[in-house]
Amino acid sequence: MYGLENISAHNGWAISFVGVTIVFTGLTLLCLTIAQLHKILDIWENKDKYINNRNHKTLTSTPANAVPKPCMPVEELETIRQYKMIADRLEQPFSLPKLLDIAVKIGLERPHSTINTLLVKKIIISDGKGYFIWTS
Amino acid sequence: MVQLFLEFLSNTGFALADYRHFIMILIGIIFIYLGIAKHYEPLLLVPIGFGILVGNIPVFKGLGLGIYEDNSVLHYLYMGVTSGVYPPLIFLGIGALTDFSTMLARPMLMLLGAAAQMGIFLTFLGALALGFAPNEAASIGIIGGADGPTAIFLTAKLAPHLIGPIAVAAYSYMALVPVIQPPIMKLLTSRKERLIRMEEPREVSKKEKIIFPIIGFLLCCFVAPAALPLLGMLFFGNLLKECVVAERLAQAARTSVLDTVTILLGLTVGASTQADVFLTPQSVGIFILGATAFGVATASGVIFAKIMNMFLKTKINPLLGAAGVSAVPDSARVVQMVGQAEDPNNFLLMHAMAPNISGVIGSAIGAGVLWSFIG
Repeated sequence: MYGLENISAHNGWAISFVGVTIVFTGLTLLCLTIAQLHKILDIWENKDKYINNRNHKTLTSTPANAVPKPCMPVEELETIRQYKMIADRLEQPFSLPKLLDIAVKIGLERPHSTINTLLVKKIIISDGKGYFIWTS
Repeated sequence: MVQLFLEFLSNTGFALADYRHFIMILIGIIFIYLGIAKHYEPLLLVPIGFGILVGNIPVFKGLGLGIYEDNSVLHYLYMGVTSGVYPPLIFLGIGALTDFSTMLARPMLMLLGAAAQMGIFLTFLGALALGFAPNEAASIGIIGGADGPTAIFLTAKLAPHLIGPIAVAAYSYMALVPVIQPPIMKLLTSRKERLIRMEEPREVSKKEKIIFPIIGFLLCCFVAPAALPLLGMLFFGNLLKECVVAERLAQAARTSVLDTVTILLGLTVGASTQADVFLTPQSVGIFILGATAFGVATASGVIFAKIMNMFLKTKINPLLGAAGVSAVPDSARVVQMVGQAEDPNNFLLMHAMAPNISGVIGSAIGAGVLWSFIG
């Protein structure tokens, strides 16, 4: 037999088609794997950096008007709690000099420094009219 | 005494020779000439050429001298070919020699190596059309892979009686790649396409080069398990090279092992091309199909590169498709040569090595596929 008859008789078309497909599939899979390999290795070698970046993204994804909770020692938190009680008594918005005055009278330690810290950490913010409000 | 002398004369080569022996001896001498004087693949053509001389010395059958006689030395050495041992050992050495970083830097170019392997299957169809049996057609088709060890490996499994002409055809055309490819490359590409410059490849890390042979081996052999002997040795040799800690073994693989097996393979394949096996109409058909296989493989790679360019923002030089023909590194050098003929400052060699090397993997997968379907 010769020609197309011999090809068909021995399944030549199917063997060729499947053969080409398998060769292409094998090399394409290898190509795709290699293309990702250096990225996977980069992530593996710098995994700390990627984890920190992910944590940073989580922190910065909080709402715009929310104030980040301060990471402070326990004593400092207790001091802030005391100032919060004073601010609640004064009602919002309150006068900053009045807050300072009451803190001095009660005998709280380092009132100026503490109020400065509250301002820097935006726990106390200005309302734009000369008074201040305590943020949550 | 005269009787003894006459008996001696009747056993000499002069008495036993016919015109076919002299034709084959002439072919052997031409191969040696091409290898030594013209530097066409000397590491292959010199052993094969001399092997042709060895195999075509007329000898008295039964004395255990010929390569096809069971108890001859040549026959024992030839067993490495017929059993399929030598080609995987050659792939071990090739793996230990090869730097896969150009392929790792630009994996997309691997697809050009895949496209060029269409030459195998189209030639397979051509051989069937000419009336060859499927096992013979597959062995002839693998010439299109342009990979000598792969061609010998598959032929030893499927059609051992054709090892001689197929091996000679495969290695001859590999040596003639600088003659066969350029006209096809120029015919299928425009000047504008040949002038395309490739982007600089990225830096490849040592870890990638170590992990790749493991992943490549697992992936390719899971897809085509029949390619295990060839690809297993190829990737193993590469791992020995890249891991550095086994440098002694890598050194042995790419020098003493590779050189020893190349000598034995070349010599015995040449010796197997005896006149009564080689000078047949079948061999003429094999040689014609072999040339067709190389041409089709080159054209497939170039055309596929042009098709890829339809979808790519950053175009690739379509000449790289010709490097998918896995005659490493000759077809990559041909790409460089043809590219530089248009633009002397266009250095394509490094980029061409990627499809060149993937062509080796692709031809081994193709051989495994044909063996599993037809074996």
